[in-house]
Amino acid sequence: MSDAPSTATAQPGHGQAAEEDVPSVASYADPHMQPAARDIGRAEWVVGAFLFLGIVGMVAFAVVYWRGGQPQLEGIFFGGGLFSLGFGMTAWGKYLLPRGPFVEQRHSNTSSDIEREAMAAAIVDRGGMMVKRRPVLTGLLAGGSGIMGVVLMFPLIRSLGNNPGTSADLNPGTSLYATDWKVGTRLVTADGTPVSVFDLEVGGTMTVFPEGFTSDIQQAVDQTILLRPADSSIITKPGRETWAPDGYVAYSKLCTHAGCPVGLYQAETVQLVCPCHQSIFNVLDGAQQVFGPAPRPLPQLPLMVDERGWLRSQGPYDQPVGPGFWERSS
Amino acid sequence: MFLRIHGRHLLPAAILAGASVSGLFLTTAAAGPASASTSGSQIAPLTTVALPPSYVTPGQQLFEENCSSCHGVGALGTDHAPDLVGVGSATVDFWVSTGRMPLAIGSIQAAQKPSKFDRTQTLQIAAFIASLSSPSGVQSPGIPNVNLQTADIADGQSLFVLNCAACHTITGAGDALTNGAYAPSLHVATATQVAEAIRTGPANMPTFGPGNITNQQVADIVAYVTGPIQNPNNHGGSGLGGVGPVAEGFIALLIGVGGLALIAFWIGDRA
Repeated sequence: MSDAPSTATAQPGHGQAAEEDVPSVASYADPHMQPAARDIGRAEWVVGAFLFLGIVGMVAFAVVYWRGGQPQLEGIFFGGGLFSLGFGMTAWGKYLLPRGPFVEQRHSNTSSDIEREAMAAAIVDRGGMMVKRRPVLTGLLAGGSGIMGVVLMFPLIRSLGNNPGTSADLNPGTSLYATDWKVGTRLVTADGTPVSVFDLEVGGTMTVFPEGFTSDIQQAVDQTILLRPADSSIITKPGRETWAPDGYVAYSKLCTHAGCPVGLYQAETVQLVCPCHQSIFNVLDGAQQVFGPAPRPLPQLPLMVDERGWLRSQGPYDQPVGPGFWERSS
Repeated sequence: MFLRIHGRHLLPAAILAGASVSGLFLTTAAAGPASASTSGSQIAPLTTVALPPSYVTPGQQLFEENCSSCHGVGALGTDHAPDLVGVGSATVDFWVSTGRMPLAIGSIQAAQKPSKFDRTQTLQIAAFIASLSSPSGVQSPGIPNVNLQTADIADGQSLFVLNCAACHTITGAGDALTNGAYAPSLHVATATQVAEAIRTGPANMPTFGPGNITNQQVADIVAYVTGPIQNPNNHGGSGLGGVGPVAEGFIALLIGVGGLALIAFWIGDRA
């Protein structure tokens, strides 16, 4: 420990610094203990002024707060006060504390090689004997730890999302295969107004939902973008001859890549653009993806016009909407 | 036109009523002067600006001097530019008053720039184009006059979020589309231009007719765009262009982390 000169009254905490040339009693005569500032009086003034400013800022904040509060003033006073206190403390440490340098000797904490080898041998020898003496308890401990490790994986699996369900399940709450679009479901706007075949101009677009399913955030899977690129029927793919009457065509608004709402419609080029990763879909070609990471075209909702002019779905989507999942077949 | 009557369609009364109201706005573009103005202009959210018949002749002269080299004499179109017969006065006013026409240079998208014509000249050109009757008899939107007194900014925000923000972004700053096209910033658009764009769907913008967005809703959107969108209340002092987290993150890294680094240098430095 301390090999300080005989004058030392052995101050605790100074022991490590007690080299030959560093006395353990603080003294202003010691050059190492001199403050770093060239002009100590001025440094004291600066530190004092900032600490005082900090007090002023905090008091002003308190006054404003108790008088009812004003966010900008509170921010200025509290922030200014905090800055002043911090600057004062930092300047104190930088200019008024002993300049040093101080040397602190450290020795290695590592045990000797012999000690370590003896420790390892003891663990193998005595530890192994103790464990082998209680095989049942050892087995129980290993089994409990293993099961706990498996159980800890469960939240990870749950975080991957809900069980996809089956294609036979028609409830979108429990099956990724289903939406609320059924045979003859009427198209309505976000506020529930039914959509008629007279509502969109050529070049127009709107977001539609199945009637009765507009109020719940859970119905996000139902959102569908209705477009009218032409004023006469459109055949977007072979086999979809009746799906786009009077130029009205509808696609799932969920991107097949990551499920973002595909809401950007370029009327002139008749393309839909996904805002998240710039996938581009050709509206007149069954929303075939022409650029970007989307792996599949947007599913098309078959439309029909009823005898009163309302737009309805001929039936549900012919495939799951939104991003892919392991279980889907295509 | 959206009022094509199919024999098999029997419209509910509500739709008929809505359609006839929308007719207020869609005053016939080819109509004579007197009928172009609508009654009840103090109440209606959108009214059509009446273009005097005397505007047609000077408008035709301006058109032939400035536009006909591409759009053709009589606005019948050429290989370079489309036929303008039947597009109506709102379309002409939007393209000319925003400076997009006459085109400075052939490109994917016409650039916005100071208009070449003053207000009267623009209206004269619009009056000339509106005087050309469409062969199909289609009625095209006239130049709208937006009444903001009864507009609801909160409704306008909802409609903006639903219909406009996808392309123009939530702050109206505009953003890129595909193949060099872009949704322009809304920060310099006038009330009339916003309404014209909604109703006529210039270039890649979809067309929003009265069956989709009512006249009152157009006024609501215009009030929101010319209000909070164009005069945002930036509590932090600067909106940084309203382009989202990239600019904000850049400033935070540059000033925040950079400043902290400088302070750390100062603290660690020996006096």
